[in-house]
Amino acid sequence: MCNRLSHLLLVFALAACAPAQSTVLPHIDLSVRTPLPQAAPGEIAHLRVGVAAILSPQGTVESYSELTTYLAEKLGRPVDLLQRRTYAEFNDMVEKSQVDLAFICTNSYVVGNEQFGMELLVAPEINGESVYYSQLIVPSSSTAQSMADLRGKVFAFTDPMSFTGRIYAVYMLQQMGETPEHFFQRTFYTYSHDRAIDAVADGVADGAAVDSLVLDYALQRNPELATRIRIIHHSEAFGIPPVVVPPTLPVRQKVHLRDLLLAMHEDDTGKVVLRSLGIDRFVEIENTAYDGVREIVHATGIGE
Amino acid sequence: MSTHNTSLNTPLSVAPFPSRRLNRWAEMVWRVAGSVDVRTKILGMVLALTTALGLAVTLQVRAVMTSVFAEELESRSVSVASDLASRSIDPILLNDTYTLHQLLRETVNNHPDALYAFVLDNNGQVLAHTFGDAGFPAGLLDPALETVTATLHGEIRHWVYTSNEGTVHEMIAPIMGGGAGVVRLGLTDTRLQAIVNTVTGQMILTTLLVALAGIVAAMLLTWLLTRPILDLVATTKEVGRGDLQARAPHWADDEIGTLADAFNQMVADLDASRRAIAEKEQARFLLLKKLISAQEEERKRIARELHDGVGQMLTSLMVGMRTMQRSDDAALNQERMEELCTTAGETLEQVRVLSRELRPSLLDDLGLAAALERYASEFTRAHAAIAVDLHCDLPGRLPSTIETALYRIVQEAMTNAARHGKATAVSVLVSRRINSVQAIVEDNGAGFNVEAVRRQQSSVGIFGMSERAELLGGALDIESSPEGTTVYVEIPL
Repeated sequence: MCNRLSHLLLVFALAACAPAQSTVLPHIDLSVRTPLPQAAPGEIAHLRVGVAAILSPQGTVESYSELTTYLAEKLGRPVDLLQRRTYAEFNDMVEKSQVDLAFICTNSYVVGNEQFGMELLVAPEINGESVYYSQLIVPSSSTAQSMADLRGKVFAFTDPMSFTGRIYAVYMLQQMGETPEHFFQRTFYTYSHDRAIDAVADGVADGAAVDSLVLDYALQRNPELATRIRIIHHSEAFGIPPVVVPPTLPVRQKVHLRDLLLAMHEDDTGKVVLRSLGIDRFVEIENTAYDGVREIVHATGIGE
Repeated sequence: MSTHNTSLNTPLSVAPFPSRRLNRWAEMVWRVAGSVDVRTKILGMVLALTTALGLAVTLQVRAVMTSVFAEELESRSVSVASDLASRSIDPILLNDTYTLHQLLRETVNNHPDALYAFVLDNNGQVLAHTFGDAGFPAGLLDPALETVTATLHGEIRHWVYTSNEGTVHEMIAPIMGGGAGVVRLGLTDTRLQAIVNTVTGQMILTTLLVALAGIVAAMLLTWLLTRPILDLVATTKEVGRGDLQARAPHWADDEIGTLADAFNQMVADLDASRRAIAEKEQARFLLLKKLISAQEEERKRIARELHDGVGQMLTSLMVGMRTMQRSDDAALNQERMEELCTTAGETLEQVRVLSRELRPSLLDDLGLAAALERYASEFTRAHAAIAVDLHCDLPGRLPSTIETALYRIVQEAMTNAARHGKATAVSVLVSRRINSVQAIVEDNGAGFNVEAVRRQQSSVGIFGMSERAELLGGALDIESSPEGTTVYVEIPL
């Protein structure tokens, strides 16, 4: 009996020494390399929707994902959301017909229209108007009351091509006989309006010029933001950022998309999507609505 | 408990286990282990302990280090992967492949344990990777890997695989909740393993050095312990050869020192007792010699006394009787007969005295008390100047050997008092105690130097007294001063 006991103990001891894992690990030889397979083109052509860098990339995805889902459902084909870092890159994408539909910023349309015939499709309507503003914001702790008080301070622009985010501010300085290089201590680009707002709220910038729509949306979503920033200037109305299509888009597709967007507010799901975007509905718009922008752009000479 | 065939008849001296086979092993081990010398035992113990401690500590440290490093690597990798995922969002959404590639490459370069990193979009296509121009390891894109077991840290999955470059830990971090794709970061623990191995090596080296130092210390220790023991053994052998002057050196005040002291004391006692025995031998030899010469002397004396005293008297008796035979004078013969009777009576008396001197029959017949009384009266007759005071408190007879011994001792003591002491009074007290009999003979003589006499062994009488007492298991003491001498004797019953 004692022999059996000692045998048992030996077995247990050996078992305890065995490796702890009960499963064998997979083995992969990392030196075996193959060229990456090219992605096979999908059988169904995706609708490529571009959104310019008005918001940060993640912000754009958050805001437009419902819309892309709606469009995919309505069109019965997958919708890809495409973004680029700068407005210039985005315009380039539209010019090369790498998108079918684009939500673009005002000046980008103006430039694109001029340069390669970017076409207006529709524009958002908010409170019966298709306009927006450039708003000058400072941290709530700042004593500045106007642009003049921002002399020698740090100023945040959004994108070099942004109307509300740069060009309008430059125009204001021009009216004062100043240039940003001399007026401000330092300027930098945030490449999106929501990041420009954050920069001011965090005190990284002493002031910024931002898109009123983005600011409204940010204040609505994050009420405590109002305690951290203050609006010190409010521009006149300018044409709202439109929805455009590349000139090469087939007319049938263009009409289909236009009708779809125009009818969105009549659809229950569409209404929900529109509300999430902060829009009442899409409407048709004339090229002339952007003349005010054109004037100021020409006045500043940016892009020429 | 065991049902083994007990073919062994010898009982085992070491039997701690219930199993007989184990006990036999234990006995064999003990026999081998017990027979090596103390030095080897101590060395062995020190070495075994040091190495065991060193190895145990090394193993434990190694295990702890390995597990701590693994945890640290995991937690750091999780945070790097998480950071990488969040920094990948913009480049992916903006289709900025170059920035994405830069991001991956910098992360891998900055992390010392990172092997590779790559980004998959939400269709599983590789957007960017750090494997360079040689292609991509297809094994990493195997769909079967979806089901591999992984641990979760928040959103990040951690799974492990073996590769040609060792064990790889891969972190899979979803980008923008998985909506934009995943980033996968591969890390090895090779560097950390190397550190663990270096430390292990260092610890083993330290253990060896300490073991070496331990050997030196153990050798010193054994030298300290065995030197006095070996000295003691040598001294024991010397004493065994007969050199009782040999002493063991006292090395330290520890147990061995105590042993050495005890040993030395024993040898000294042995030496003293041998001397005492030799002295006694010597004294007994002398006593024997003197006893034999004394016996001859006594016989000479008796012969002379017989010849001079009794012989003379018998001669004159014979002459008288011859004279009577030749004479016819009846009245003169009657007178002569009277004289002859008187002479014969004196002769008889002399013979009786002589006989009594030799061996008083009183001693055998009536005992010590009676014999002493007769001797005392004869002593007084012989030495008129000395007053004898005798007290005997003896309720009954004693064994004859004791009675004889006490008689001779008292006889000798009193003779000494008369012969040397210039004494005028002698008192004798003999009393029976519960377990012994005591005799005290006191005189007021001039005394003598007891020690000097004893040492010179010149007095057979005194030595004889002591011997008689000691032979019966008793003790004899002599105290002497110019005021007098006292002899104490006590003999147990």
